[in-house]
Amino acid sequence: MALDDARQWLDKIRALPLTSPVRIMNVCGGHERSISMAGLRSALPDMIDLIPGPGCPVCVCPEEDIYQAIQIGLNEPDSIVVAFGDMLRVPVNVSSKSVRSLEQAKAAGADIRPIASPSEAVRIAKSEPGKTVVFFVAGFETTCAPVAGMLAEGIPDNLLLLMSGRLTWPAVAMLLDYETPSFDALIAPGHVSTVMGPEEWQFVVDRHGFPAAIAGFTPDSLLAAIYSVLRQKLDGRIFLDNCYQQVVKPHGNPTARRLIESTLTIVDAPWRGIGIIPASGLELRADYAQHNARLRFPVHAENARKNAGAMPPGCDCARVVLGRIKPVDCKLYGVSCTPRSPVGPCMVSDEGACRIWWSSGIRTRSAEHEETTCT
Amino acid sequence: MCLAIPMQIASINGSRAVCSIKGIEREVSLFLLQDEPIGIGDYVLIHVGYAIQKISAEEARSTWELLDQMLTEDAQHA
Ligand code: SF4
Ligand code: SF4
Repeated sequence: MALDDARQWLDKIRALPLTSPVRIMNVCGGHERSISMAGLRSALPDMIDLIPGPGCPVCVCPEEDIYQAIQIGLNEPDSIVVAFGDMLRVPVNVSSKSVRSLEQAKAAGADIRPIASPSEAVRIAKSEPGKTVVFFVAGFETTCAPVAGMLAEGIPDNLLLLMSGRLTWPAVAMLLDYETPSFDALIAPGHVSTVMGPEEWQFVVDRHGFPAAIAGFTPDSLLAAIYSVLRQKLDGRIFLDNCYQQVVKPHGNPTARRLIESTLTIVDAPWRGIGIIPASGLELRADYAQHNARLRFPVHAENARKNAGAMPPGCDCARVVLGRIKPVDCKLYGVSCTPRSPVGPCMVSDEGACRIWWSSGIRTRSAEHEETTCT
Repeated sequence: MCLAIPMQIASINGSRAVCSIKGIEREVSLFLLQDEPIGIGDYVLIHVGYAIQKISAEEARSTWELLDQMLTEDAQHA
């Protein structure tokens, strides 16, 4: 049983002779959810600090791209903008009188529809042949694989894509290249690795000498990975461990990787609040130029628009995403920023660290270690 | 947004399949698993309507334990 396994891993971790603090970063919103929901932070020894990193494609989606999607919806005649539900509420930096999110654009009369699958985008485009359907895609490798599948299977002429696809490993590489990385060991994302293969994370070990383990989403799998990186550090024997072997196979899903390669291309890309990370974006290949919304529509950028690309004023999401501060350290956390009226993207998305912490009942810095224990 | 969930294949029609779990049925694409032998009764991990990997019945079960727990917690904190 998984829960007994979890308790055993916890006992093994507690028995480790840790003498100095270890900061372990996860880069997956799904991991952060499991950690918070199961109360792993309070169950683990104080010496272990679990840090949420750049784990959510919604949080890092460029503000300019969201603005562009809103403007397409509002200004392009006969357009329908479709996007994964989480994207609809993310605010852009415009005055409070202007349309600030796709949700508000919808209220203002634009045809904006939340979808749950790329197949739905195709279905909508087929059923509305007189309209131009723009699929606004924010997602990591796991989400880009189905989008690649959709493209390879063939899409209708009236379906365009506004691609904000991102690769996760270049963000981790950037954090590791900092003079003082904000963490000491990495829990690598399970579903990204399911698609791309464990090999994607080998550089953490080979180039940087950091312990790393791939984890699944159950508490026992996460605890196994935490135990692994701690042991690696204590023993001075660093390697890439795969604690999610049932699902993460060598080379991942080769078909999915082949489809990504044949439909998408890697580009330098901006991350909201962080800036451009080289070779971290997935954009449509040139053969799909006629489906590229970036090429079809003018760039909607008002010169007067202040803070384009930035996080909303006062919001500390950029440092949250980089693992420099915890959600509770943001001045707005729980004050003006809650899931009901989010200020920054990290409070909007189900995988945003602020949203996850708030939903798991963490209200103050001290409460971080007081959540319900892992039972 | 992007946690993949396990489901069991109930029927297959070309690259599309009907999958079910706990009485819920969904049409999903098997396109990303086109090079894998896959059949009715197999468990797959579904992300945004696409099966991204074949998994064992046991793995499917332990993931559902976790998801059930998350769903109840979400409801409590909503
Ligand atoms: S796509 Fe998968 S790995 Fe990436 S953040 Fe979502 S759940 Fe985690
Ligand atoms: S609490 Fe709100 S404003 Fe602060 S970092 Fe999180 S999302 Fe941004």
